[in-house]
Amino acid sequence: MKCEEMDELLPDYLSGKLNSDRAVRVEEHIRQCSECREEVDLWKKLALLPDERPSDASRARFQAMLDSYQEGRWEKASLAAERRKFLGFGDLVHWLRTPSLSAAWACVLVVAGFLGGRYIDRDAINVANQKQLAALEQELHQTSELVAISLLRPQTSAGERLEGVNWSTRVEGDPKVLDALQQTLRYDSSVDVRLAALDALKGYGKRPDVSRSLVQALQTEQSPLVQLALIDVLVDLRNANAVDTLKRLELAPNLDPSVRKHASSAIQMLSQV
Amino acid sequence: MKGQRHATESMTTTMSDEELMAQVRSGVGEMLGPLFERYQVPLFNFYLRLTGDRTFSEDLVQEVFFRMLKYRQTYRTETPFRAWMYQIARNARADFLRRKRPETSWEPAMSPAVIPTDTAQQSEEAALLHRALMRLPEDKREVLILSRFQDLKYEEIAELLGCETGTVKTRVHRALAELREIFRQIQSGSLLRGKSSEGTGTWPGSGSLQ
Repeated sequence: MKCEEMDELLPDYLSGKLNSDRAVRVEEHIRQCSECREEVDLWKKLALLPDERPSDASRARFQAMLDSYQEGRWEKASLAAERRKFLGFGDLVHWLRTPSLSAAWACVLVVAGFLGGRYIDRDAINVANQKQLAALEQELHQTSELVAISLLRPQTSAGERLEGVNWSTRVEGDPKVLDALQQTLRYDSSVDVRLAALDALKGYGKRPDVSRSLVQALQTEQSPLVQLALIDVLVDLRNANAVDTLKRLELAPNLDPSVRKHASSAIQMLSQV
Repeated sequence: MKGQRHATESMTTTMSDEELMAQVRSGVGEMLGPLFERYQVPLFNFYLRLTGDRTFSEDLVQEVFFRMLKYRQTYRTETPFRAWMYQIARNARADFLRRKRPETSWEPAMSPAVIPTDTAQQSEEAALLHRALMRLPEDKREVLILSRFQDLKYEEIAELLGCETGTVKTRVHRALAELREIFRQIQSGSLLRGKSSEGTGTWPGSGSLQ
C-alpha cells in the first residue's frame, strides 16, 4: 500500500472506523512507513493536551445572560449590541444601507445633490428658482421628519426606534419630531431607546413643552440609569420646576441608593437657582 | 427551593441535547443551563486550541450560548444539536474576527497552556505539541481539532465545513502530515538548544528523526 492511499484510510483508522481487514492492511503499512507511523503517534500524543477549565466567572456570566432572558430584559441586551454597532464607521455605512433606510436615504441624496447644484449655479438663481429651492428644502426636511417619526413608532423594533432617534437629530427643532421624541422618552419599553431620546431632547430643554416632559418622565421613570441621566439633564438646564418631583423621588421606597444621593444633591443645586 | 432545583437537575440529566434544545426553542430558557454544563468546557477548549487566547475563548463561549437563545427558532429537532452548536461556534468566531480585528490576521497569542501531566518529560512533550499545533495554518488546525478533540464524525465535520466527507479525511491527513513536519522542526530545535545548555533532551522516538 502507498502513502497516497492512506489519505482516507488513515483518518478512518484513527477514528476506529475501519473493519478489521482494512485495519490490518493499514497497520502493515504503518510498520513499513516511518512517516505514517509518526502521524499515528502524533495523533495519539495529542491526548497529552488536556482539556482546560474556563474561569468561574464564565458560569456566572452565562447565568446573568440567561436571567436577563428569563426576566424579559432580553430585548435590551440585544439592543446594547445593536447600539454598539452605531459607534464604528464601517457599521455606520452598514446602518445607512439597511433596507428600511436606503429608500429614504436615496431621496435625501437626490435632493441634496440637486441643492448642491443649485448653490454652484448661484448667479442664475432667480426668484422662481428660490421658490423651488425652498420647496426642495421643505421636501428634504419632510422626508427626514417622516423617517424619524415612522421609525419611532412603538410597533417597530427597538433597533429601528434607535435609528429613529438618530434620524430625529437631522430635523432640528421640528415640532412633530420633538413630540415623537417626548413620547418615546416617556413610554418606550427599552432603556437604551429612552436614553437616546433623552440625549436628543436635552438640547431643547428650554422649550416649555420639552421641559415639562422631562419632569413628567422623571415622575414615571423606573430605571435607575434613565433616572440618573434625567436628573443630570434637569440640573444642567437649571430646571427649578423639577424640585418638587425630585423631593418626592427622594422619598420613594425601593429607590436605588445612587439615584437617591443624586436626587438630594440635585435638589440642593436647583433650590439655589 | 434546593430540592426543586435538584429534581429539575436529575430530570434534565436524562434528557438528550436535542430534547433540551427543543424545550429552549419553545421558550423554556432554563433548559439551556444543562446544555451549558455539558458544552462549556468542550467549546472553551475548541476555541482555546484554535486561538490560544483564554479571554477571547471565554467571550466566544458566552457568545455561542447567547446566540443559541437568540436564534433558538432556527434549531430543527431532527438536526444533531452538536452540529448546530459548532455551526454557531464557527460563525460567532468569524463574526468576532471581522468586527474586532479587521486589519490584522489572527495570530494566536502564544499563551502556553497549563499542562498538568504525570512526568516532566511528558509535559515538555505536550508543550512542544502545543507549539506545533499553534504553528499549523489555521484551517488545518481547525479540522484537526474538530476531528481529534470535539468528538465529531467526519460526516458532521463535512457538513460543518461545507465539503465532502472524503475531503475532510484528506484534510485531516494533510494536517497531521504538516503537524508532523512542524513537530520535527521544533523538536530538533529544542534538542539543539537542550544540548548546548544542559545536555539533556534525549527523546524517546527521536531515533525517527534520522
